[in-house]
Amino acid sequence: MSLHGWFIALARSPLGHAMQTSRWGFAVVEMVHLLGLALLGGSVLIVDLRLLGVILKGESAIAIGRGVSRLLLCSLTVMVLSGIALLSEEAGKCYYSPAFRCKMALLAAAIAFYFTLHRQALLRVQSGTPTLWPRIAAVVSLLLWLGVGVAGRAIGLL
Amino acid sequence: MQFLQHFCDVLYQSSFGTMLRESNNAFSVIESVHVLSIALLVGTIAILDLRMLGLILRSVSVSSLARGVLPLSWTGFAVSVASGFLLFWAEAAKMYVNPSFRAKLVLLALAGFNALVFHTTIYRRAREWETLEVCPWRARVTAIASLAIWSAVIIAGRAIAYF
Repeated sequence: MSLHGWFIALARSPLGHAMQTSRWGFAVVEMVHLLGLALLGGSVLIVDLRLLGVILKGESAIAIGRGVSRLLLCSLTVMVLSGIALLSEEAGKCYYSPAFRCKMALLAAAIAFYFTLHRQALLRVQSGTPTLWPRIAAVVSLLLWLGVGVAGRAIGLL
Repeated sequence: MQFLQHFCDVLYQSSFGTMLRESNNAFSVIESVHVLSIALLVGTIAILDLRMLGLILRSVSVSSLARGVLPLSWTGFAVSVASGFLLFWAEAAKMYVNPSFRAKLVLLALAGFNALVFHTTIYRRAREWETLEVCPWRARVTAIASLAIWSAVIIAGRAIAYF
């Protein structure tokens, strides 16, 4: 099945049907999506600002990164699941939306970055080498996640 | 209450309010800023609340986390109040009668009261408990209240558009 086929299947699934017909379904899932956003935004900020050396300089970066990672991944899971439900409401339309495509590309990049180079940067701060790389990693991470949010907001507008 | 209603009508009919309401992009941009600043405000407060509940960052002392996090929360608060006031300005006459908007204001007052109680009582003696992995029950109660109230603020805020 083509990618477009999957989107159509999602829109025609029982989930899609429920989201399209229920009075408050979309609103409630949107609220859950926003609550997830607040938690995800908070955890990304704490880790990246520590990586930048702006806050919590007395604490080790990797400890902050590890301490927050579970919250970050939990809220990301909540956002992805509620996002799939939101998508099912008009998946066929989203498939062609430039803002949606942009958001998915940025999301993939943000997640890939988080698990690879970002993690490496956290480890490097731990070992105490004063390099430019952790700061660049923090800025890239902040911009990627911010981009996901802005593109997401644009889906409803474009 | 008549004064409040009159005030809302004046804002609504002002040229700036009308301009915001009828603009294509300004309203959406301010709305986006509002959402992002709320994420900054509530996300950072939630980090501190979850730490006090002993769910995350147990190795970090509560007061050093608070020193790092609270300036971010205040920044988020300032931006969300400013952007929120602009959004209100554009729709003031409708907001006056919107039940969700009223609920949101009450919830914000509650959140402020909860923070005030925490900072003037329990947090004063933070030195005695700041390094505990799970904080004393009074701190945990305010943390749970804070998480619940701020979540309700977000829910009520989103619901404004549906009334």
